Amino acid sequence: MEKADLSHHISRRFNEDLERVRNQVLAMGGFVEAQLQKAITSLIEGNSSLGESVALDDLKVNGMEVSIDEECSRILATRAPAAGDLRVIVAIIKTITDLERIGDEGEKIGLIASRLASMERPENKYREIKHLGRIVSEMVHGALDAFARMDADGALAVARQDRVVDEEYDAIHRQCITFMMEDPRTIRRALDVMWVVRSLERIGDHAKNICEYVIYMVHGKDIRHTRLEDVERALNKGNP
Amino acid sequence: MLGESTKAWGFALARLAMLLVGGLLLGLFIDHVVAGLLLVLGLALSWQLFNLFRLDHWLRARSRRDPPDVGGVWGDVVTQVVRLHRRKRYHKQRLLDVFRELRHSTAAMPDGVVVLNSQSEITWFNRTAGRLLGLRRRADIGIRISNLIRDPEFGRYLQRAEHGDVLQLPGLQPGKDLMLSFQLVPYGSGQRLMLVRDVTRQVRLESMRKDFVANASHELRSPLTVITGYLETLEQDQDIDPLLQGPLSEMRRQSERMNAILRDLLELSKLDASTDEAESEPVDVPGLASLLCKDVRARAARPTIELQLESAARLLGNEGELHSAFSNLIDNAVKYTPPEGRIVVRWATNAEGEALFSVSDSGIGIPAEHLPRLTERFYRVDPGRSRATGGSGLGLSIVKHALEHHGARLGIESQEGEGSVFTCHFPSERVLPPRAQS
Repeated sequence: MEKADLSHHISRRFNEDLERVRNQVLAMGGFVEAQLQKAITSLIEGNSSLGESVALDDLKVNGMEVSIDEECSRILATRAPAAGDLRVIVAIIKTITDLERIGDEGEKIGLIASRLASMERPENKYREIKHLGRIVSEMVHGALDAFARMDADGALAVARQDRVVDEEYDAIHRQCITFMMEDPRTIRRALDVMWVVRSLERIGDHAKNICEYVIYMVHGKDIRHTRLEDVERALNKGNP
Repeated sequence: MLGESTKAWGFALARLAMLLVGGLLLGLFIDHVVAGLLLVLGLALSWQLFNLFRLDHWLRARSRRDPPDVGGVWGDVVTQVVRLHRRKRYHKQRLLDVFRELRHSTAAMPDGVVVLNSQSEITWFNRTAGRLLGLRRRADIGIRISNLIRDPEFGRYLQRAEHGDVLQLPGLQPGKDLMLSFQLVPYGSGQRLMLVRDVTRQVRLESMRKDFVANASHELRSPLTVITGYLETLEQDQDIDPLLQGPLSEMRRQSERMNAILRDLLELSKLDASTDEAESEPVDVPGLASLLCKDVRARAARPTIELQLESAARLLGNEGELHSAFSNLIDNAVKYTPPEGRIVVRWATNAEGEALFSVSDSGIGIPAEHLPRLTERFYRVDPGRSRATGGSGLGLSIVKHALEHHGARLGIESQEGEGSVFTCHFPSERVLPPRAQS
């Protein structure tokens, strides 16, 4: 129903503006997703040049954020949107900040990957990072899908995944500590791995934030800092 | 039918006339002509109105009820309406059947089909497309396709895909390692049909094939080196039976040929492995060309070779790959041109800003039917001759791959018995002005 609202405007130009800025956000999201994918691949395959290219391309993400931000300010100033449209703009402004941070974390992973590429690789070839990376990129993908579809239920399902990421994070944390205690020579590498895992965990959080903005955009409810069970109950009450 | 209706209308008019006469008589009888006429006309009018009411009622109820049994012209009208209705329903049903059939057949297609409107929004998609792309029925209709398939490469493809362009992308759905190929087919006014194919298997097979060729050539090289080494020593040994001299030198020649084939195969798989565009550095093509020509001039029994440098432009590309492409072209020309012939190597730019590197010879030429297949691996126009000259059958394949890396294409013109022209067309964005003299 909210989707219909987007296309039922008296001013067609306003409509086009909103739609265009939404498309820009999703294009930026697509770019960030690809960056994240490349960063994880560069780490797992030990491809240092790919890692460096990810780090370099982060500039493009920053550029996209700035241009979308400007566009949003322009819409706010010239169209003075209200109600649902205002929520869309607010959600977009917040979403691009999180997307930009995801890009930054991707840059960090890329840099560490290009450094780790010259080092001896562990026996399991970073399998646990591959696994965590997969969950996290699925979360980012799902969050952006929910954004594109204005799908609050989908957003909630993605937000719930954050718990899995936290558990994985703890598991890898413990594993790294064990490695470091067993063989101090691995400390350097283990610390780098910890940074990567930390970045991935942060990306999961950012994806969860985007999901919260989607729910805010669709239902007009602010669910930050609320337990997910409560959110679910509140949403179900709203539309039985 | 016309006769029928005129009869009914005549009947109705006659009835009206009879009623009027009756009314007149009644009026004369009660001494109020006007009142009598009015009464009769009023009755007639209410009867008509009543019939009209029943007709209206029936039409509102649509076909759920049987048509009313009304008399006179009204009955005729009812029959017409029923007939019209029936015909419309028949046509609608037929159209619907055709449409449903069409939809079922596209839905059952093994390839995914997505219909996009001029805004690239999804209008319709079949089940396979839904499965491959993770689209949702109903919910995803009207959403821009680039908002769901967000890969930047796809966005670029969507914007400037030309007819026939195919894009390969890893699958988008998390958890499944799919390789998808996309093709856009424009139709109607700005609408596009997007075909989605699952090419996971093909891609895997292709990469297996490439790996196999690369590994096999690599593994074959070391034993071959040993064999060549021993053959060389044996050939120089004075104590060898003169009867064996002939076979020995033939063995050495053949092992050298095998070495050349393996070298070319490895070169090809190296080109295969880097599917992306070549790393770009400015390459001094005039310098490269004169170096290659000098190499040829050093050989014995060779045709005249002439270098025409009409441009001093440099090229953005990979020097190693360009070197192997150009040297393969020139080698071919030398191989197939008799010593009294003439080869022209030319470097120029054309009106569109493309840079052209061409090698023309006055050699034996290539029959037209072989031209399309010339760049296939191991394709030979004349197997006997090619083996005699020691070719690997991979030269033009290497040229093609190296050019593809530079966004360039190879043009071949040939006249049997008169010679051939091989031209490399490099796109204008790779052409650089000559280095400024300092």
